[in-house]
Amino acid sequence: MHRRGVGAGAIAKKKLAEAKYKERGTVLAEDQIVQMSKQLETFKSNLEEFASKHKQEIRKSSQFRVQFQDMCATIGVDPLASGKGFWSEMLGVGDFYYELGVQIIEVCLALKHRNGGLITLDELHHRVLKGRGKFAQDVSQDDLVRAIKKLKVMGNGFGMIPVGGSYLVQSVPAELNMDHTVVLQLAEKKGYVSVSEIRESLKWERERACHVLDHLLKEGLAWLDSQASGEPQYWLPALFSELTSRDVTPEEANQITP
Amino acid sequence: MSFEWPWQYNFPPFFTLQPNVDTRQKQLAAWCSLALSYCRHHKLYTLDVMEAQESPVFNHKNIDRKLSTDAILIVFEELRKKGNLEWLDKNKTRCLVMWRRPEEWGKLIYQWVSKNGMANTVFTLYELANGDDTESEEFHGLEDWMLIRSLQALQMDGKAEVITMDDGKGVKFF
Repeated sequence: MHRRGVGAGAIAKKKLAEAKYKERGTVLAEDQIVQMSKQLETFKSNLEEFASKHKQEIRKSSQFRVQFQDMCATIGVDPLASGKGFWSEMLGVGDFYYELGVQIIEVCLALKHRNGGLITLDELHHRVLKGRGKFAQDVSQDDLVRAIKKLKVMGNGFGMIPVGGSYLVQSVPAELNMDHTVVLQLAEKKGYVSVSEIRESLKWERERACHVLDHLLKEGLAWLDSQASGEPQYWLPALFSELTSRDVTPEEANQITP
Repeated sequence: MSFEWPWQYNFPPFFTLQPNVDTRQKQLAAWCSLALSYCRHHKLYTLDVMEAQESPVFNHKNIDRKLSTDAILIVFEELRKKGNLEWLDKNKTRCLVMWRRPEEWGKLIYQWVSKNGMANTVFTLYELANGDDTESEEFHGLEDWMLIRSLQALQMDGKAEVITMDDGKGVKFF
């Protein structure tokens, strides 16, 4: 009749034990939380110190930016993930890429009437640097690529097509599928391409080749040269190297439609 | 100062009339601009279509490309529509090129007259366009037909009066 563990008393005791454990758990959790906040405070102030020390470097040095980005990637942080993010506000990294994005859009718009909205990364780089002037911050191709990726995410019609070891940057939403891309890559070598070249290199049928070339003409990305010896050639202003150093003339500027 | 060719001049397709309508529009605009600058640079006031075909503008020997006669006529038609060209004959073999319009010439001439305090003076056309006094002016060497039109433009503005003299025409400025 006096068995332990059963009966109202035992239940009450059990409940009391549970309550004590819970309290202990709560105390433990509270401890941890206090510890964590202290760590976070330290972390935060270290970060603030880091930020103020390196804010200048971030804006000035492209090499530093690359390393910074890599470090962020390692710990799973994307400093460009949101405009008002902790990181981007703290370090002004977001500002830098946002401004660069605006510059990129300006350059592409200014040249669109010439190249149909396709430009080599080299030429884009050259013009962005030119636009920034002698005393402005250094901008690397890595910076451009990141900024363009941001633009792509925001849906600005931007895209990058890998060609010959670098990229062609597309700034208009011209529909370019795999076939078009492959022909662009083929054209990259000489700046132009012909139906036979496409058939030889890619083993396509004539109709497929012509279809792609017609599309490029239609999108204003290619011009026809019917005085080439043998057969017509299709030239891309975007790949025409003579273009790189030429400024936009006032006449051309009048033709620009936003 | 040597003539500066636009980037299109070295781009082979520039000499092929483009099939795509939008691209063709840009191409023709660039051709008009090039033709006018070339004429302005070399002070050409008339063009003969046959000769134009062989001139460096439309025949780029270095890259072995030339604009066809048909295409040249299309460019000229564009210039005509813009008021920069006038055919001298019905067969369209020769034309006047107005890289500067008569009103613009008139203004330049009048500026020179005012600057030198020569209002109320009478000039012969020859003196104006070929005299020593105007040698450094842009309108020096201006061909008669254009000179007369420019003066007529000034006349409309009440700034000059074209008069007939014994041995030709003259002008009085106000």
